[in-house]
Amino acid sequence: MGLIFIRTIIVFIATLVVMRLMGKRQIGEMQPYELVITLIIADLACIPMADNSIPLLYGLVAILTVYLLHQIICLLDLNFAKAKAVVSGIPSIVLNKNGIDDAELKKNNLDVSDLIESLRVEGYFSLDAVQYALYEAEGTFSALPKPDYDKMQTSLPVILIDEGKFDEKNIAYTQKDKAYYLDVLKKLGCKNIKKVLVMTVDGNGKVYFQQKGEKYKTLSLSWERTLW
Amino acid sequence: MIRTIVSLLISLGLLIGISFYESNRVQKTFERFDEVLQVLYDKIEAKEVTYEDGTAVEAFWENQKNTLHIWLPHTAIQEIDYQLYEAVGYLYVRDYDSAMPKIEILIGMCENIPQSYRFSWENIL
Repeated sequence: MGLIFIRTIIVFIATLVVMRLMGKRQIGEMQPYELVITLIIADLACIPMADNSIPLLYGLVAILTVYLLHQIICLLDLNFAKAKAVVSGIPSIVLNKNGIDDAELKKNNLDVSDLIESLRVEGYFSLDAVQYALYEAEGTFSALPKPDYDKMQTSLPVILIDEGKFDEKNIAYTQKDKAYYLDVLKKLGCKNIKKVLVMTVDGNGKVYFQQKGEKYKTLSLSWERTLW
Repeated sequence: MIRTIVSLLISLGLLIGISFYESNRVQKTFERFDEVLQVLYDKIEAKEVTYEDGTAVEAFWENQKNTLHIWLPHTAIQEIDYQLYEAVGYLYVRDYDSAMPKIEILIGMCENIPQSYRFSWENIL
């Protein structure tokens, strides 16, 4: 039983480390250690139940060990902020007043399209309509909109450049060509498309543009009519 | 907070208690079984063994294995059953040469099984 006790601790810690390394994307509304417990405990209960050759006590000892670890983590969570940060992680601010924080996104194995998707789920369709956006430690997404954000999102923005690459389908959707947008990039002071983190445009011609490591810019293209 | 600490200490105490009891229990049971098997082995070697000696060892094992089922995988116990019943069968027909290797296997198992429950890196990993 002592071996099962130690082995359960090792499996628990290994699974927790992997979950923390995977970033917030894999968690989704649970603290990492809660997800680990959910993953492990089902098997611990099932194996001795289904396999008659394994003493039931093996499963009970492993479950009791998981409970013990849960209680230890709860104590650490409540009393030691640093331990809580290591075990559960900390919120990641992925969008601030300067725009998207690419490094913070990468830390959590996320990309710009994941961020835009999360914003849309929260009801924010335009990147410049939000002051702050963050992924909580348990993987949920929170956003603080600008006071007049509803005036900023009158049309659905589409991604034209995502991390240095043109989205051909969306360019065709805007009824323009690459050359047109290369001109727009020149106007925005960008010479190398690979440095572009994101560029979106909505049906009114409002462009959201951000180069890697720089503050975002917006630009209004003089389109004759609203395209969508 | 106090409830958490108390539950933590109780579960830790239970786990440590169970671990030491299991280790001790398995070790002692197999030490006794090993002694009994050694006596049987010496008797077979000296060709002084009877079928009743074999059944006495069998009865001893039957008595011990009931509690071992709590601690050991049942397949390990079945393996001992299988080797022991065969050995006693050979004693019944007085085939001592065939019985001896079976008893040797059982003596080996008495050393190996408790070893696989000791705290060591090989067993943990």
